[in-house]
Amino acid sequence: MKASKSIGAGLLSVLLVSSVVGCGNNEKNTASSTPSSSAPSSSASSGGEASKTPEKTDTKKEKVKITYSMWGSAEEGNVTQAVADKFNASQDRIEVEVVAIPWESYMTKLNTQATGGQLPDTGMLKEDGVIQWSSEGMLNDVSAMYEGSDSKPLDSLAYKYQGKTLAYAAANEVLLLYYNKDMFDKAGVAYPPSALDKAWTWDEFVATAKKLTVDKKGKHPGEDGFDKDSIVQYGASVENLPWQLETWALSNGGGFYSADGTELRIGEDASVEAIQKVADLYLKDHVAPLSVGQTDDGIQRTIIAGTVAMATNGAWNVGTSLNTAKEEGLNYGVAVLPYMKDKVTLNTGGANVVFSQTKHPAEAMEWLKWYNSEENNWGLISSGIWMPTLEKWYTDESLTRKWVENPNFPPYDEYKSAVVDYARSSAARPAAWFYTNHTTDFNTLLGSVLGDVWTGKTTAKDAIAKNLDALKAAHSGNN
Amino acid sequence: METVSKSSRRRARIYSAEARVAYICLIPAFLGLIFLTYVPLLSVLGISLTSWTGLAKPEFIGFDNYVKLFTTDPYIKDSIIATIYFALLSVAGSMIYSLFIAMLLNRKIPARGFFRAVFYVPYVLPAAAIYVGWSWLYEANFGFFNYLLSEIGLSKVLFIADSSYVVPSLSLISVWLAGNLIVIFLAGLQNVPSVYHEAAEMDGANGWQRFLHITLPCMSPIIFYNLLMSLIANLQVVTPALALTNGGPGNSSRFMTYLMYDQAFVNYKLGYACATTFIIFAILAAFTAVLFKTSNRWIFNEGGDDK
Amino acid sequence: MSVAAYGRLKSKKRKTRMANVITFVVILIFAALVIFPIWWIFRTSLMTNAEIYRYPPSFLPGDWLFSNYEKTLEVFKFWKYLWNTMIIIVPSCLAGTFTATLCGYAFARLRFRGKQFIWALCVGSMLLPAMVTLIPLYIGWTRGLGLQDSYLPLILPYFCGGGAFNIFLIRQFIVSIPRELDQAATIDGAGYFRILFSIIIPAIRPAMIVVALFIFIGLWNDLLQQMIYINSSDKFTIALGLTNFRGQLKQDWSLTMAATCMSFAPGVIFYLIGQRYFVEGITLTGMKN
Repeated sequence: MKASKSIGAGLLSVLLVSSVVGCGNNEKNTASSTPSSSAPSSSASSGGEASKTPEKTDTKKEKVKITYSMWGSAEEGNVTQAVADKFNASQDRIEVEVVAIPWESYMTKLNTQATGGQLPDTGMLKEDGVIQWSSEGMLNDVSAMYEGSDSKPLDSLAYKYQGKTLAYAAANEVLLLYYNKDMFDKAGVAYPPSALDKAWTWDEFVATAKKLTVDKKGKHPGEDGFDKDSIVQYGASVENLPWQLETWALSNGGGFYSADGTELRIGEDASVEAIQKVADLYLKDHVAPLSVGQTDDGIQRTIIAGTVAMATNGAWNVGTSLNTAKEEGLNYGVAVLPYMKDKVTLNTGGANVVFSQTKHPAEAMEWLKWYNSEENNWGLISSGIWMPTLEKWYTDESLTRKWVENPNFPPYDEYKSAVVDYARSSAARPAAWFYTNHTTDFNTLLGSVLGDVWTGKTTAKDAIAKNLDALKAAHSGNN
Repeated sequence: METVSKSSRRRARIYSAEARVAYICLIPAFLGLIFLTYVPLLSVLGISLTSWTGLAKPEFIGFDNYVKLFTTDPYIKDSIIATIYFALLSVAGSMIYSLFIAMLLNRKIPARGFFRAVFYVPYVLPAAAIYVGWSWLYEANFGFFNYLLSEIGLSKVLFIADSSYVVPSLSLISVWLAGNLIVIFLAGLQNVPSVYHEAAEMDGANGWQRFLHITLPCMSPIIFYNLLMSLIANLQVVTPALALTNGGPGNSSRFMTYLMYDQAFVNYKLGYACATTFIIFAILAAFTAVLFKTSNRWIFNEGGDDK
Repeated sequence: MSVAAYGRLKSKKRKTRMANVITFVVILIFAALVIFPIWWIFRTSLMTNAEIYRYPPSFLPGDWLFSNYEKTLEVFKFWKYLWNTMIIIVPSCLAGTFTATLCGYAFARLRFRGKQFIWALCVGSMLLPAMVTLIPLYIGWTRGLGLQDSYLPLILPYFCGGGAFNIFLIRQFIVSIPRELDQAATIDGAGYFRILFSIIIPAIRPAMIVVALFIFIGLWNDLLQQMIYINSSDKFTIALGLTNFRGQLKQDWSLTMAATCMSFAPGVIFYLIGQRYFVEGITLTGMKN
């Protein structure tokens, strides 16, 4: 095996090198190309930069340059750069430069950079990539980052695989139930509960949704003359992106994976039944609009559009879209999710990692640690996009008030109960990608398997049974 | 005897001068073909024999990727069917549509320049934005088309949310985007000598006969080009899946290039993605070969071709 | 002119007029259908984000928020992006069109050894989706040539024939030109390059404009490659600037569509300029008889 390995590598490197031979390739350049990719001097006209070797790290007076990549717009990049400038001014050894890459192309770009050995030193990584990148040896060990530190992130926000801590989430997020208060008032129906101990059962949830679903003639589902093709307002929408569906499988006593992530449980009756219940909201109960998981603008399409009374989705929506909608007059509230058998919500958060291609892991970690203390990404937290990762913000009420009492958020009591306390409650469980490998592959396949379930062309039971072997293969990485 | 050898020598001399000119003309293309296409292609072939993830070091695994593609891959069969179905619909639709529009635009109508620009504009629009625009029209619950349907009392059509409608819906967008074909047809129509038309008209040929016996034969090299181009482009379709459907519902729009993109850039299976590439390549080559083989029968080369 | 002939001419005239009216109506209907989705995008650019998703959908924006465009320009540095894009596009268009014409000429008119083979290579290269060679090329440009955050990996390929599609297009057009034209010139003693420049190029000008147009639009919308090769935001192109409306999970559709509407104007203008030359193509073919 070893021999074939080296043959493969040799063949590959021959091919790759030969692809540039004749274009003035020189080895020196390859060695010196650090990921400090956007040095202002490397403009379009100066193609032959081979002579410039930015290897200044030996001389002690020179600062170590660290590139930090994040997803987001250029403005968001500028804001983060301003924060980094504070860090740069606070000490004289490290200089951090921020590169912002649009969300949609983030992983494509990072993946390409990885193949070319051009990765930044440190950066954000999407949730479902962390364990895979780590198992491919692309991430540095950060377990020592918080050693001896008194303020640690929530334990549920650590990416752990085979007993090792791989990374910490940059933010916390939970899944919630959003609702439109005006629609509830108009129908004379009580708001969904924001306290966990009063959470609705699934049946209560569906019954309420029926009262809030109205067709053109003002009829509700179940009434005579109700026409499902002329519904003008839907009662509920449950987001059915594969990773969010795990909530319902867990809530029904099933799950996607065993607790340690090694076994697949999606074939169990409880899991299949839960998925079917979500599909039936559209198919049988006629309380939900059809969604086939093609877009991730669920809250815009439902609550903000004013076409759906209740919708489940992540806490980030408070800051990404609902705050603007609130300014424009939307009266919305937050509540805990309904439950089937167990009360469950998922928490998640994109990771901050140090790439193993870096030459300066210690400096990169120092920056991450500094940046991850909430005071330094306050902009994202106070807007409602990120929830803090450190425990004290959830336990110390004065800190919680500092965080939540601002116009971007719904009323304090509601948010405190339905989000802050919810996130720390026993209902909150880490999403699968915190402890399971190959979730990207698995979720892609699950999404494709369930495609015809949402429109009722097949049932969850048949679809999953038929593809169980493929799902198993995807989970084990043999796909 | 002597004259024959003399003339053949003379022809040879001309021939070599001609060849020299040809080689000079072809230098740039040759560089491009070698360094930008075939050397990278060879490395793709190399990668397809490994288990490279793009992240860790590659490992040589022979033809395992290909074996897996043909035996256990959950997507590839649906993907090939979806791609060919989409390509045939889109090619047929956009060829008829663009030739028809180009011929109308070639007539003397008022505001001709304006109309030409109108039909061309969809092609200039940034792809991501147009698909989002169309998604609002197609949306299953509250989209504009369904609003129209419900206003006139018809039941809803799920369009891109339904696995049986998604490909025709996407093909319609692709026909709408065919402004580039219209432009080429228009340029081609300009090159049809008007004297032919005038002569035929003298002989009493009607519009349809003139279309059949003059326009079509004169345009045949251009029709061939457009056919080939739109076939290749539509078999390589990827943007609608990236921007709109994520390959769904189910696998109904998981086009081959999207599948490859997903393997390479989302699921980190670069070796596997490269193997998929060769399947795409083989399918494209098969379709192109058929097109070329049959082309001799219907292409009318006015200038002649010495192939 | 006899009365009968006069009558025939008159009825023929009436017939063409009728045909033109029908053509116009048909074109008008098609144009309305084609414009509709574009109107939908434009209308969105003048709405609030909540309005976009509202039901029933409205054909006209409520407040005609032209201020969306001002807001967009704060983020979308149109002129700067335009300038950056032009730095890529202008040399690419010129070089691409020129080299494609050279190659197309060689394939259409000249005889040389290995023609079949090179032609097959050329056609074969069209069968590869650009995405396929992305990674080897990326490694080549960055690791091999050290070109990071540079426009050169985007421009240089166009100095190499401008892509097989364009070579093919030029060749098809040259093939459709009567061969007697350049044969006559050969007898007059003109060299191959003189034939190319004084006979072929004037005749295929519409095709060359089309090629330039395609290179223009291709680069204009080529997000994938630009995204991979360009890092710093002061080098952003129009295509990259457009994706920049997507923040941390946040997408402002009104502003994105406003930017979209601004961004396709240059493409249309370029087309309108090029369109003039299409009409001139006819003059040549008249020479045949």
